[in-house]
Amino acid sequence: MNIRIQGGGRHARAIRRTSTVLAALALTSVTAVACGSDDSSDTPAAASATPVAGGKLTYATVQEPSCIDPGYDPSTVTGVIDRNIFDSLVSQTATGETKPWLATSWTVSPDGKTYRFSLRDGVTFHDGTAFDGAAVKATFDHAVDPETKSLYAAALLSAYQETRVIDPRTIEVVLTRPNASFLQSVGSPFLGIQSPASLERSAEELCTKPVGSGAFTFVSWTKNRDLVLAKNPAYQWAPDAADHDGPAYLDGITFQFISDDTARFGALTSGQVNVINNVPAANIRALKANGSLQYLRADSPGLAYSLILNTGREPLSDVRVRRALLRSVNLDALVESVYFGEYNRAWSLLSPTTIGYDKSLEGTWKFDAALANKLLDEAGWTQRDGDGFRTKDGKRLTIVWRTGAQLDRDGRGVVAQGVQADAKKVGIDLQYISEDVGTFSQHIFAGDLDIWGGNYQRPDGDILRFAFASDQGITKGGGNLFGLQDPTLDRLLNEASTTTDEAVREKNWADAQQYVIDNALAVPLTVGANLVGASNKVQGLRFEQSSNLTFFDTWLDPTK
Amino acid sequence: MRSTTWWLARRLALAVLVVVGAATVAFGALQLVPGDPVHVMMGGAAPSEEVYERTRHELGYDQPLPVRYGEFLGQLLRGDLGQSYQLHQPVADVIGSQLWPTVQLALAAFGLAFVVAAALAVTTAGRRSGWRRVASAAELLMISTPGFWVGVLLLTFFSFRLHLFPVAGGDSLAGLVLPAATLAIGLIGVFAQVMREGLERALEQPFVLSARARGTGETAVRLRHALRHALIPMVTLSGWIVGSLLGGAVLIETIFSREGLGRITATAIAGRDLPLVTGVAVVAATIFALLNIAVDLLYRVIDPRMKEVVR
Repeated sequence: MNIRIQGGGRHARAIRRTSTVLAALALTSVTAVACGSDDSSDTPAAASATPVAGGKLTYATVQEPSCIDPGYDPSTVTGVIDRNIFDSLVSQTATGETKPWLATSWTVSPDGKTYRFSLRDGVTFHDGTAFDGAAVKATFDHAVDPETKSLYAAALLSAYQETRVIDPRTIEVVLTRPNASFLQSVGSPFLGIQSPASLERSAEELCTKPVGSGAFTFVSWTKNRDLVLAKNPAYQWAPDAADHDGPAYLDGITFQFISDDTARFGALTSGQVNVINNVPAANIRALKANGSLQYLRADSPGLAYSLILNTGREPLSDVRVRRALLRSVNLDALVESVYFGEYNRAWSLLSPTTIGYDKSLEGTWKFDAALANKLLDEAGWTQRDGDGFRTKDGKRLTIVWRTGAQLDRDGRGVVAQGVQADAKKVGIDLQYISEDVGTFSQHIFAGDLDIWGGNYQRPDGDILRFAFASDQGITKGGGNLFGLQDPTLDRLLNEASTTTDEAVREKNWADAQQYVIDNALAVPLTVGANLVGASNKVQGLRFEQSSNLTFFDTWLDPTK
Repeated sequence: MRSTTWWLARRLALAVLVVVGAATVAFGALQLVPGDPVHVMMGGAAPSEEVYERTRHELGYDQPLPVRYGEFLGQLLRGDLGQSYQLHQPVADVIGSQLWPTVQLALAAFGLAFVVAAALAVTTAGRRSGWRRVASAAELLMISTPGFWVGVLLLTFFSFRLHLFPVAGGDSLAGLVLPAATLAIGLIGVFAQVMREGLERALEQPFVLSARARGTGETAVRLRHALRHALIPMVTLSGWIVGSLLGGAVLIETIFSREGLGRITATAIAGRDLPLVTGVAVVAATIFALLNIAVDLLYRVIDPRMKEVVR
């Protein structure tokens, strides 16, 4: 797993080139593992009609990948595109249940370290190569090969030792230690199985001309413009989690890269594209009011957009100051005013659709300025200076929050100002500094900041380990930016990742979420969501558990 | 003739210097930008130490700066622009694929702006009428209106409302209209003001008086005699403007989701994609230098007196 100050996460709502030129570097996000879909409440009422094959769908997305080799690139948009081109060993349902796909069945050894998969017969890649055990081995070996310099897939296989091809239809994947998230990871598009013949090619070709066995084949990619996929008519190996068998309904999908919010929304309302993502929150009322359009949304699982606090230096090394900050923010009012109710406030570091979310935290740490003031008084920040900020021994209570300028999107800058204003009300001088991404990364590596704000899109609570375990330091490829060494969290999170006991995992993740709030190690702010607008013609559009869109069951209703 | 050949050879040699200079400045500027280029390039990701070191080595960042600069220059002189870090493609291919849309947009915008500005200037120059004032005010407005806003307005009206042109038209002709118009609007004001001033100055010259004395009509005086003089400053301006347009128009390309060098460059700078940034700098500088030679040649065509002066 990688931190992304990024070139691409979606929840990042990243914007490869935002209207402001440089957004190439979005942040910290995201990267999803494909799971089953969900969010039935908002899914269009398509169930009644009978799907019709035919027609091409155009999807305008805010972000453009730089490379679509799933084994290399970590960005969300790469996952969304590659999901159509590549099949995985397993598929996942809405509830995160694992179902067969290219593997028809599997068993796990008692020690949790060996997974034996029986592979499907009769699957062929787009280049005509037959799918077999060697293809799985080649794909996994490619992901972990240092030569690939994988920015994400290798992390999904972090405990990978080797793949043994027992016979063409049977393989064993051997891990160095048990990994409870292994099947989840294997179902991700980033570990989609590539044609072994294709993997022989150069990095350039893998990046630009992917070859899988999926329901859609790669046609073309014109940089800065669009990426075109066509239906694979030979497709007969749909995932068990899908609604139908056989080839996809759509003749093709065009991903159009429209980073400008106004242009993207206008392209949808004027019927020039069928689907868009990242609908600006301010346009959602207009979208809902438009009779020929539909609005779909799904909360993203993983780490909610949160402030991670640097406990390693003054003043946030004092738990009372951290708690004061946590309780000083009037989050309900802030989130409502910035996002018009389209994003929810967060109660835990994990968002509600994450496997392992602890619902019991909801409502437990309401806004309480009086308490915040009391805590700060107790901590000795009792004096006030001329600007009304608290001081102790002549030093002002200053907290520095840094971010990369390109990461300020989705109204996050406005949220930051709100947090800043609320903090000021209890006498905290919270400085929100938006800087060049290079400077920002320098500050991160030097630990010269008190607050880091960001999110990660991930299917389950294991993201907590990435963000807090002591062996996940930033120079080790982890997300523990401030080098936190907390034995309680280490025990809870490491045990959760290796145990084969589902109940232990759930409990540990819940305890860890409680612990983070109790000790105010972070301030959860908002739950990320995928806000999608689509024409009424578009039916069977689904969100995966990751909140990414999937197009296999999608069809165009010619009567609309 | 010999003098022209000699002049051209000297100018071409100078052009090579300009290109190497531009490449050096681009190379140097990216060294000065804060932040570890390897981290930024990897999307600021925190890669494992192994991946980090390997990437650093492959990109040559473990070498001292003079060595890297030397290698860079050597590559450049061999005509090799290198491989883009982030796109994993040869820089020449990336630029090649984005160059034509950029040229299309630049020339279309320039042509449009030139024609409209010439019409404005010829009809309003030297006339103390209300029209001149109206035209002049409109030009100022066009100069000072931000391009992205014009672009959004044009899109809203002509694409979203009237459905006349696509939001993102790729390289089709219909897709070129709005971006070209957006870019042109910013240029028309400048062009018209420069041409009007040139015209007005020319119209005060004795040769205009003698032309009028011969009974030449006002329009003919303007088009046949004065316009030629007014074009000299325009030509100077054109060399510069077309040159910078060919470097890409980031905002316009972004709003209209067009391919083009501008967006490629912006992304490359943000991602510290050194080979791509220097590659674009080299290409832009080359075009710029060649255009300026062409402009100087044009002077000689428009104004024969220049042959004697420019050497």
